[in-house]
Amino acid sequence: MTDFLRSLDDLPVTTPKWVGKPIGRVEDPALITGKAEFIDNVTLPGMLHCAILHSPHAHARIKSVDVSRAAALPGVVATLTGEDAERWTRKMYTTPDGWGMYVLATDKVRFVGEPVAAVAATSRYVAEDAIELIDVEYEPLEPIVDAFAAAQPGSPKVFDDHDDNIMYKRLFSWGEVENAFANADHVYTETFRWNRVGANPLETFGVISEWNIVENTLTCRGSFQTPSYIAMGRAATFRLPSNKVRFIGQPHGGSFGGKGGGRGTDITAMLSRKANGRPVKWIEDRMEYLSSGGSQAWDRHYEVSIAVKDDGVVTALRVKLLDDMGATAEGFGATGAAKPMASFTGCYAIQNAEYDLTLVATNKLPASPYRGMGPPPHNFVLEQMMDIAARDLDIDPAEIRRRNFIPADQFPYIIASGNEYDSGEYEAALDRVMEMADYQQLRREQEAAQAEGRLAGIGVVSTIEPGVFDWNAYTIIGTRGIGIPEGVTVSIDTMGKITARVGFPLEGQGQYTVASQLLADYFGADIEDVRVVLADNLTAPPNFGPGGSRLGVALTGAVLGASARLRDKLIKVAAKLFEVQPEDVELMDGELRVKAVPESKLSVGNAAAIMLNRSDMLPDDVDPSPEATFAWTAPGRVEPDEQGRVKSYLTAANACHIVMVQIDSGTGKVDILKYFIVDDCGTRLNPANVDGMVQGALAQGVGAALLEEYVYDDDGQLLTASFMDYLLPTVHEVPIPEKDALVTPSPFTPLGAKGAGESAIHTTPAAIMCAINDALLPLGVRAKEVPASPNRLWKLIHDAQQA
Amino acid sequence: MPSRDVRLSVNGVSYEASVEPRMTLVDMLRHELGLTGTHVGCEHGVCGACTVLMDGRAVRTCIMLAVQADGAELMTVEGLAKDGELHPIQQAFMEERGLQCGFCTPGFMMSIHELLKATPDPTEEEVKDALGGAICRCTGYEAILQSVRSAAKKMRP
Repeated sequence: MTDFLRSLDDLPVTTPKWVGKPIGRVEDPALITGKAEFIDNVTLPGMLHCAILHSPHAHARIKSVDVSRAAALPGVVATLTGEDAERWTRKMYTTPDGWGMYVLATDKVRFVGEPVAAVAATSRYVAEDAIELIDVEYEPLEPIVDAFAAAQPGSPKVFDDHDDNIMYKRLFSWGEVENAFANADHVYTETFRWNRVGANPLETFGVISEWNIVENTLTCRGSFQTPSYIAMGRAATFRLPSNKVRFIGQPHGGSFGGKGGGRGTDITAMLSRKANGRPVKWIEDRMEYLSSGGSQAWDRHYEVSIAVKDDGVVTALRVKLLDDMGATAEGFGATGAAKPMASFTGCYAIQNAEYDLTLVATNKLPASPYRGMGPPPHNFVLEQMMDIAARDLDIDPAEIRRRNFIPADQFPYIIASGNEYDSGEYEAALDRVMEMADYQQLRREQEAAQAEGRLAGIGVVSTIEPGVFDWNAYTIIGTRGIGIPEGVTVSIDTMGKITARVGFPLEGQGQYTVASQLLADYFGADIEDVRVVLADNLTAPPNFGPGGSRLGVALTGAVLGASARLRDKLIKVAAKLFEVQPEDVELMDGELRVKAVPESKLSVGNAAAIMLNRSDMLPDDVDPSPEATFAWTAPGRVEPDEQGRVKSYLTAANACHIVMVQIDSGTGKVDILKYFIVDDCGTRLNPANVDGMVQGALAQGVGAALLEEYVYDDDGQLLTASFMDYLLPTVHEVPIPEKDALVTPSPFTPLGAKGAGESAIHTTPAAIMCAINDALLPLGVRAKEVPASPNRLWKLIHDAQQA
Repeated sequence: MPSRDVRLSVNGVSYEASVEPRMTLVDMLRHELGLTGTHVGCEHGVCGACTVLMDGRAVRTCIMLAVQADGAELMTVEGLAKDGELHPIQQAFMEERGLQCGFCTPGFMMSIHELLKATPDPTEEEVKDALGGAICRCTGYEAILQSVRSAAKKMRP
C-alpha cells in the first residue's frame, strides 16, 4: 500500500541532506556526560536488591534447600526457592520445545551457575550476606560434559524425562549430493572444533521488577535487547494476561545477542511479589554473566567434506555438526545452529549441499545468541575447506574463490539451502581488496619472510552476512513467530516538530540517529527538529527491535511507511486549502506544493498546525491528527519446504577480507601484520555507523579467532569465570584495517540498504584462521581448533618440528 | 556492621558520608553520592569502566574501598563539562564517533584525561599504553584512537 523508495533519489527532497551522510549521533550527548539511564542508574522508592545463589555443581540432585537462616538476617525482606518457581511459573519455553526447566532449580541442578535460591534485601551487600546463609544439600551426579559421549545411547541424562540427550537431529539434503561426490575429481574431508565464545557487552544484564499485588500486574525496567518479545515470554511464564505485563527498555551497554535476561527478570518478579510489591533490582555481576548469563555461544564439533573438480570448482558441500547446547534449550542456541542455512554455501554457487545437524544437551551453561547468530563458525569451516582444496590443486586461494563465486548477473540467486540472495558483486569486492592489499606484492613479502624462517601467512576470505530475518527463518527447528514487524509512529506537533515513537531501547548501533536522518529528509526538516522516543511494550507499535542485522532495514521501512501515510494526510489538508484534488499536490523539500502551481505551497509544519488548530479548514475525511503508524515486514515470506528451504533473510551483504599474520614459532603467538576490508552492505544510510559496525565486529572476530574461549573441565566446572581468564581484545590486539566499500543496493529493501549490524564477525575468524593455516603450511600441520591460542599453536608447531 | 566516616571531594564538591568499611569506592560514588556516570563492568579491575581520577591519577574504583579515598580529591565524568560546555575530550568522542553503546566511555575519557594532562602530544604507542587497561566491546578502538588524537589537538594551546 505504501510507496517503495528504491534509492535515496526517491526521497521527497531535492538533495538528501542527512541520509547517506556520516552525521553525528543523536544518542551521544547523554552518553558522553554520564547521563544515560542505564538500569543500574535507576533507583525506585522502596527498592530492594536481589542476590542469587548459584549451583556449585554441574549435575546434582537437590536434597534440601533451607533459607531460614537467610530469612532471619536483618534487612532481608524476601527469599525465593524452586518451590516458589514451581508454584508461580511455567517451565521456560524452549527451542526445540520441551527442554526447559524452572528459573530456580527444583529436582536437580544441571550446570554450574544455575540459580538455586534468591533473596531480596535492603542492599546488595546484605543480600550477598544472606546468600551465604542458605543451606543446600546436594547429591552429586555424574556430570555430562563431553558432547560426543552425551550423544551416545546409554549416556547419563541431563533431563530424566527424555529418552536421551539428543535435543534435535536431522539431515537436510539439497540437490544431488551423492552424485556430486561420486563424480568429483577430488574429495576433501576434515574435522574442526569451535569452542564456546560469547557476547560480553561491557554492561551485564540488569532489571528492576515490580509486581503490583492488588492489580496483579508486572512492570519491569531493564537492559532488554527486545523488550516487547521478552514481555510476551514473561506473560506466558507467569500465566498473566499479556497486557498486564509492562516492559520498559533502558538504554543499555551493548548486547550482541546477550541481553535476554528471562531468569533474572522472573526471579526479581517473584521476589517483588513476595515483598508485597516493593521493586526489586538485580544487577548481574560479571562472574554471574560469564557462568550463568546469556554469555556463551557456539560449542561446535564439525566434520566437513567438499567435492571438487580438477579446475577447482566445488560441486558439493557436506557439513556434519554436533552442537553442544548445554543444559537446556532456553537460550536460542538452536537458532544459531539453524541460521547457517541462510548462507550455507557462502558466496559460492554450490548447488548440492547437506547439513547433518545434531543438538545435544550437556551439563554446561545453556547456549545463547551472539552477534552473527551461528554462521561465523560455519564460515570458518567452509573457508578452511576452500583453502585445503586450493593448496592440493595448486590454485591460489583468491583464484579458487573467484572460480566459485555466484556471478554478478545471477542475482537474485537462490542458494542450495533455499535462501535468496538479493544482490552482490563478489568478484568486484575481491578485485578491490586485492588491489588495496597489492596482493601479489603481499605474497612476495610472505615468501621473503618464509625465506628468513618466519611463519607468515595470508588469508583471503569472502563471506555473506544474512540480514533481516523473518518469522519463517527458524520454524524448521521449532521457533515460531520470531521476526515480527517493526513499527514506528510518526507525529508532527503544532510547532512543526517531528517525533517518532519506537519500541526498541538504545543499544549502541545508532538507530535513533538513522530514524532521525530519514525523517529530517522526508519532511525537509533539520535533524534538530526530530526526536525519537522509546515507548514501552504496551504503547509502542508492533516491534521486535535489534537482532539478526534486521533493524536498519526494518526501521527504514517503518519510518518511510509511516511518513508516507502522514504525508497523504497532510496532502489532503493542502489540497482543500488550495482548492485542488489531493493528486494535484506533492510533498517536496518540506513543502506541500500544487504540482502545476509551484508558488501555491504550504509547509509541513503549517499543515500539521492547521490540522491541530483549525477544524474548520479540514477536509471531511481527515481527522485532526498529524500522526501515522506503519509496521514494516518483508514481502513474500512463506513456510519452509520439507527440506527446510525457505526465503528467510531478505538481504545478503558481502565482505571480502585479506589478512596477513605472523606466528612466533617460539611462543605460538599470532601477530596481525596487515588487514584489508572491502564491505558491501548496499546503500549506506549512515556510513559512519556502518564503519563502526565493521570495526567493532572485526574486534570481536579477532577475539573469537585468537583469544576468547569458555573452558569447562571434566567435572563441568567453568575455568574462565573472570576477565583474567576469558580474554577480551584490547587496543593492543585489534588491528586498524584499511577499509573500502562497494555499494550494491538491494532491490528488495527500502532505499536499497542491507542488514549490516553483525558485519565482520562473519568474516574475520575465517580470514585469520586461513592466514594462520597458510603460515603453518611449510610445517605440514593445520590449525583446526578455534581459538588459535598460543598454547594450541605452539603445540602444533612444536610437534611438527619434533616430527 | 560498624560504619566509618569518609570525607572526600568529587569534582570540586565536598562530601561526607558514613559508609561500611567494605563498601567499594564505586558503590559509594554511584549509590551514596548519586554520581552514576561512573560505570561498573567487571568488578574485578580488568575492564576499566569504573576508572576515575584520584588526586590526578586514574584508579579503578571497583577494586578500591571507599575508606581508601578518605581525604582524596576525585574527578569523574560528571566533572568534565564546565558551565554547560563540553570538555574537548567529550567533544572529540562525539565528533570522531568514539563510542557506540557508551558504557565504557566515561572510564576511557578519564584515562585519556590523565594521559593528555601529562603528555599533551602523545605518540601512538603512548596512547595505546594509556588505553591498554580498558576494554571497549563495541568500537574496535579505531574511533577511540581518533578521539584521543582529536582531543589532544583541541587541548593543545
